[in-house]
Amino acid sequence: MSFSRRSFLAASLAAGCTALTAVRSRAEEPILVGVSGPLTGPNAQYGAQWKAGFDLALDQINAAGGRPFQYVFEDSQSDPRQSVTIAQKFVNDPRILAELGDFSSPASMAASPIYNRGKLLQLGITNSHPDYTKSGDYTWSNCLSQDDEQPSLANFVIEGLGRKKVAVLHLNTDWGVACRDRFVESAKAAGATIVATEGFQSGERDFRSTLVRIRDAGPDAIVIEAYYADAAVIVRQVHELGLKQVIAGVVSIYSPKFIELAGDDAEGTYTQGYFFPGEQRSEVQAFVTAFRAKYGQDPDWFNATAYDGLIFISRIVNQFGASREAIHEGIAKIKDLPSAVFGKATFDPTSRRVSAPHFVRLVVKDGKFAAWDGQKPKAI
Amino acid sequence: MGPWFDYTVNGLVVGNIYALLAVGLALIFGVANLINFAHGSVFTVGAYLGWTALHYLHTPLPVTILLVAAGSAVVGVAIERFALRPLNHRSRIAPLLATIGVSLVLDQAVQLIFSPDPRALPSQLPDWRLPIGGVTIGALDLLIAGVGLTSAALLFGFLRFSKLGWAVRATAQDPDAASQMGVDTNRINAVVFAIASALGGVGGLLVGMFYNSIDTTMSFDATLKGMVAMLLGGLGNVPGAIAGGLILGLAESYGIALFGTSYRNLFAFALLILILMVAPNGLFSRRRELPPEPMTGTFVAPSRPLRLPRPALAAIVVVAALFPLVWNQPYVLQTLTNALLMALLAFSLTLVSGTVGQISLGHAGLLAIGGYASGLLALDHGWPFVASVPAAGLSTAILGTLMVLPALRMTGHYVAIATLGVGEIVSLVILNWTGLTRGPMGLSGIPIPAIGPIELDTPRALYWVVLVLVVLLGLLQVRLLSSHLGRTWRAIREDEVAARAYGVEPLRYKAMAFAFGGFGAGIAGAIAAHLYSYINHETFNTQLSILAITVVILGGLGNVLGAVLGAVLLVALPEIFRAAAEYRMLIYGIALLLLIRYRPQGLLGTI
Amino acid sequence: MMASLLEITGLTRHFEGITAVDGIDLAVQEGELVSVIGPNGAGKSTLFNVISGLDRPDAGGVRLDGVDITGRSPEKLARLGLARTFQHGRVFANLSVLDNVLVGTHARLAAVRPGWRGFGPLGELLLAVVRPGAVRREEAALRSEAEAILARFGDRLVPRLDHPAYSLSYANRRRVELARALALRPRLLMLDEPTAGMNETETTEMEEVIAALKATGLTILLIEHKLDMVMRLSDRVLAMDDGHSIAEGAPATVRDHPAVVEAYLGHPANQRTAVA
Repeated sequence: MSFSRRSFLAASLAAGCTALTAVRSRAEEPILVGVSGPLTGPNAQYGAQWKAGFDLALDQINAAGGRPFQYVFEDSQSDPRQSVTIAQKFVNDPRILAELGDFSSPASMAASPIYNRGKLLQLGITNSHPDYTKSGDYTWSNCLSQDDEQPSLANFVIEGLGRKKVAVLHLNTDWGVACRDRFVESAKAAGATIVATEGFQSGERDFRSTLVRIRDAGPDAIVIEAYYADAAVIVRQVHELGLKQVIAGVVSIYSPKFIELAGDDAEGTYTQGYFFPGEQRSEVQAFVTAFRAKYGQDPDWFNATAYDGLIFISRIVNQFGASREAIHEGIAKIKDLPSAVFGKATFDPTSRRVSAPHFVRLVVKDGKFAAWDGQKPKAI
Repeated sequence: MGPWFDYTVNGLVVGNIYALLAVGLALIFGVANLINFAHGSVFTVGAYLGWTALHYLHTPLPVTILLVAAGSAVVGVAIERFALRPLNHRSRIAPLLATIGVSLVLDQAVQLIFSPDPRALPSQLPDWRLPIGGVTIGALDLLIAGVGLTSAALLFGFLRFSKLGWAVRATAQDPDAASQMGVDTNRINAVVFAIASALGGVGGLLVGMFYNSIDTTMSFDATLKGMVAMLLGGLGNVPGAIAGGLILGLAESYGIALFGTSYRNLFAFALLILILMVAPNGLFSRRRELPPEPMTGTFVAPSRPLRLPRPALAAIVVVAALFPLVWNQPYVLQTLTNALLMALLAFSLTLVSGTVGQISLGHAGLLAIGGYASGLLALDHGWPFVASVPAAGLSTAILGTLMVLPALRMTGHYVAIATLGVGEIVSLVILNWTGLTRGPMGLSGIPIPAIGPIELDTPRALYWVVLVLVVLLGLLQVRLLSSHLGRTWRAIREDEVAARAYGVEPLRYKAMAFAFGGFGAGIAGAIAAHLYSYINHETFNTQLSILAITVVILGGLGNVLGAVLGAVLLVALPEIFRAAAEYRMLIYGIALLLLIRYRPQGLLGTI
Repeated sequence: MMASLLEITGLTRHFEGITAVDGIDLAVQEGELVSVIGPNGAGKSTLFNVISGLDRPDAGGVRLDGVDITGRSPEKLARLGLARTFQHGRVFANLSVLDNVLVGTHARLAAVRPGWRGFGPLGELLLAVVRPGAVRREEAALRSEAEAILARFGDRLVPRLDHPAYSLSYANRRRVELARALALRPRLLMLDEPTAGMNETETTEMEEVIAALKATGLTILLIEHKLDMVMRLSDRVLAMDDGHSIAEGAPATVRDHPAVVEAYLGHPANQRTAVA
C-alpha cells in the first residue's frame, strides 16, 4: 500500500535501517523476500535475533554480485490477526517471491492457508509444531521437528551422562509439549524413568515451588525444554535451592545470552547443538566468523536459523530461477544447501522439513559452551 | 520439616514481590480511584534505570536504589501531569484508558532504547543463602521483604500523622471538598504518583536483580499480579495490599504443590474469584456499608452523542458493501475483515461495559469459547460452518454468562479485575483441559469458512459475510437499546442504587446483556477460528481484551456505530503505521493518548 | 384501629461506634402524611435507607401492610409499592427526562416480562426484539402515563421530555425524581428533602404538588428541614436527634417540645433553618 508507505517515509527514515528505504535506494529491481515476524510486542526479542541473521545473510548474498536481494520485514507482533493481513499483502505483491516466518504457532499457522492458496512459499524458520508443514504444499520449514532432536537429547542424558531418573521442566506451549512428549518417549525406550514433568507458562520467573516438587520426586537429572532466557532463570533457582542434579537442555538454550543471564550458575549445564562456534565444519566456521565480525558477539540458534532461511532462498533462486514457482519447485529438489545450523541441509519433500542432521554435545565450562569431553558426571 | 514448609517459604518470598507491586497500585487507587495499568511499565523502567546506573556509572546499591527511586518518581509525576491531569473530571473511564496508553508508550520506548533482548542485572548483594527447612533464602529476598514492609509502614505513618498525609486522605475521600478546603489536589495527586512510582521502580530493580534478568515483557505480568494482590487485600488498602501479595504468593505455591506447575495461575485466579464471592470487597475491608450518596456525577461524563441520520447510515452500509467491487485489494479487505470481527467483539463489550457500565477486561475469553466451540464441533463432529458458528454463539452466551455471574455481583473496579480473572481462567482451562481442547497443541486444521458447497476462500467473500453479520447484529443491538431494556441497562450504569430502588434487578439485566453480547462475541470468535485454521489458548489473550476495551472507549461507551468506527481505527492504525516498523506501536500509543486527551467521551460520544 | 400501612418497631443501625438509628418506633396509617425532622446527622436518611431496603437494620423490624419486609431487597420493595427519592437527588444523568420517569414504571412492566419459569430473562430479551402488539401497547400506555405525571409540574418539564437529565436545573432534577417515584404508583411515597436547594417560589410549587398528592389519599413519609412547610403538610411529625426519637405527635406539639427546641438550638449550624 503505497499511500501508507509514502506518508510514513519520514518515520522510516528516522528508523534508519528499515528494509524499505534500502529497497528504494537501489537502482536495479531487487528480488524480494517477505518476512512476517515480531518486531514489537512480547516476542520482539526473537524478531531482533532474526534480523541480525538476515542482515548478515544479505551482506553475503549481495556481495557475491548478481541481482540484488532484499527482505521486507513486516511486524506481526506474532499476532494471528496481523499475520493474516501480512500474508494477504505478500501474496498480492508480485515482487515478493518467498516468505519467511512467522514466529509463534498461532500467527504462523493462521497465515499458512493464505500462502498455500496464493502459491507463495512459506518457509518457517523457527516452526517446530508437528502440524505446521501439514497446512499445504507451500509450507516448509528448516526447523527440525522434535522427532529428530529429542531422541538425541534423551540418548545424551541417559547413555552419555548415565542418568536413570529424569524430571522434565518444559514450556507449556505447543513447542514445549512436543519436546516433552518426544523426550519422554525416547527416554523410556532407553530404560529411564520419568519421575516428574512440569509445564510452566512463558513469562513465569519463579520456579522455586516447582523445583521443590521436582526435588521431592527424586530425579538424578533435570531436563529443561525452554528458551534460553527461561532456562537461565531456572538454573539459577536450581542452585539457589541447593539441588545438585545434572541439568541438560534443549538446543534453544544454546545462546551466549544463556551464560550471561545465568552467570556462574550456567556452569556444568549440558545441551546439544546442530551447530557450535567451536566446530570445525567450514560452513559453520564461515558463519561464526562473519557474525562475530559484524556484531562482536557469538551467534545463537535464532540468528543461525534466520541466516540459513535467507541463504537457502538465495541458493534456490540461483539454481532454479527468480519466480515463485521456481522456488517452490527448487526447494524440493535442491541438495546439500550450505547451512550454519546443519553444515549441509536437504529438504525432505514428504515432511517438507530438513532431514536428520547430527548433533554436537556441549557443556558450559569456564563461562563458555565447549564440546563435551565424554566424561560422565559423578553420581549425586 | 516437610515440603509444605518449603512451599510456604517459597510462597512468601514470591508474595513479597507481589506485595511490593500491590502497595503502589493501592496507593494510587486509594487517592485517584484509578487502576493504574502503567504501574508494571514503571516497574520495568525502574529495572532499566538501575541497569543503566550499574552499567555506566557502577553505582553501589544504595545509590542505585536512590537513583532508580528518583527517576521512577519523575516518570510517575510526568504520567500524572501529562496523561491524567488534563482528563480530570471529564470521565471516570478515560483515565483508565490513558494509563493503558502510557504503558504502551513506556514499554515501546524502553524496547527501542534497550532492544528487546533480555539483559542481565547482577545483584550487588553478598551471595550468602540462609537454609530454612529444605529451601534457602538470600539477602535479596530479605531486602525485598524489607522494602515492602518498610514502605507500607512509612506510608501508613505518613498518611496518618503528617499534614501532607492528611491532605492525601482528604483528597481520597472527596476531592471536591478537599480542594474547597484549600488542598491543592493536583499537587497531592502528583505526590502520590511520585511515591507509588518510586516504589514500583525500586521493585523492578530488585526483582530484576533477583532473577538476574530484565526484559520489556515484565510489565504486563507485573501489573496483572499486582492488581490481583491489591484486590485480595481490598482496593486502595495499603496494609491490605501487603497481605494480598503474600496470600497470592502462597496460593500460587500451594497450587503448584497440589496440582502441578501448569495449574499455578489457574489456581490463583480461581481462588481470587472464590474469595471475591465470599468477601466482595477484599479480605481486609470493613463490612458492607452503603456507598455515600453521590453529590454530583455518575459513571459516565455527560455527553451528547453524535447521531447520524438514517439515510447516512444506509449510505455507509452500501458503500461498505460495494467497496470490494471497486477496490478488490486482498490486503485492505483482510484488514477490514479483521476490523469488522473486532467490531463484533466491541458490540458485545460496548453493551456490557458501555451501556450497562460493567467494565469487562476479560472479553477475549468469549472469543476463545466461541472459537473452540466451533472448531471442536467442526473437527471432532464434522459440523458444517453454518451450523457450528451459531452453535458457538449459543454456547458462548451460556458458558460466558455463567462464568461471569460471580463477577457481576460485584461493583465498580472489582468487576473489571474479576472479569480480567475470568478471561485468564478461560485461557488457562483451555491450556490445561487437554482431553477436550488438546491443550497447548491448540486446534489445527479447522476447515475454512464455507456456506454449503461454496468455500469462502477469498478475502472478498469473507469480508461480505462478516459485514452482513456486523450490520445484522448491530441493528439488533440498536433495536434492543430502543426498547425498555435500553433504558433499564443505562439506568443501572448511571446509578445502580437508584435503579434498584425502582425495582430493577441488576444481576438479571447484567446477565441478559452479557448473554446477548456473548452470542455475538462467540460468533466472532468462531469465524476467526475458521479464518485462521489454527487457534490455541493464546490466540485470544488479555492483550486482545484490553484492545477491545480501548475500541469501546474510543468509539463512545454504548455507541454501536462508535464500536465499528473504533474497531476500524484501532485495527487500521497499526497497519497504516506499518512502514514505521519498530516505531509503530510507539506512534500508536501516542496517537491513542492524544485521542483520549481531546475526546475523553469517545469519538461518537456515550449513548 | 385498622392496621398501619407502615409499621416500624425498635429499628436500629450502627456504624463503627456510632448508632445512626437507635430503636425508632413509628406507625404510618393509610393516607397519612408523616414528617421526620431533626438536625443534620440525626439519622433521618439512614432511617429511610433501612426502611427502603438499601441498608439492613442491626435490630428491629419493618412491616408494610402487615407483611414483614425487614431486610428485603429494594427491588422487591419497589414491587410492593414502596417508592422513594434521595437526599441529593439521584436522577439518571444521561437518560432523557421521559426515560427517567419510565424507569419508575419498571416494577409494573408485565407484557414484556412474561415470567416464563426459568426462561424469564430469555423471554424478555426476545419480546424486546420482536415487540408484539401487547408489548407496544404497554409501552405506549406507560409513556402517556409518564407524560401525564410530568404535566403535574406545569411547564417545568413538559418542554424538556427529550433533554438529558444532566442538562436540567437542580430544582428540575428534584421534580424528575418525584415524577419517577410517582410512576411506580406507590402505596407509600418516601420523600427525602424534596425542596433542598430550591428557592422560595420553587419550594411553594413543590409544596403544592405534595399537598395535591396527599389530597389523592397517597400515604407519604417526608424528611424536611423547612419547618413551616412541615407544619402545614403533616398529619404527624417524628423528631429525631442522635438516632433517637425525641418527640412524636401533632406538628405543633412536636415543634414546641423542649427537646426539639434544644436539639435545634444546641446545633448552632441548624439554628437558621429551625427559625425559618
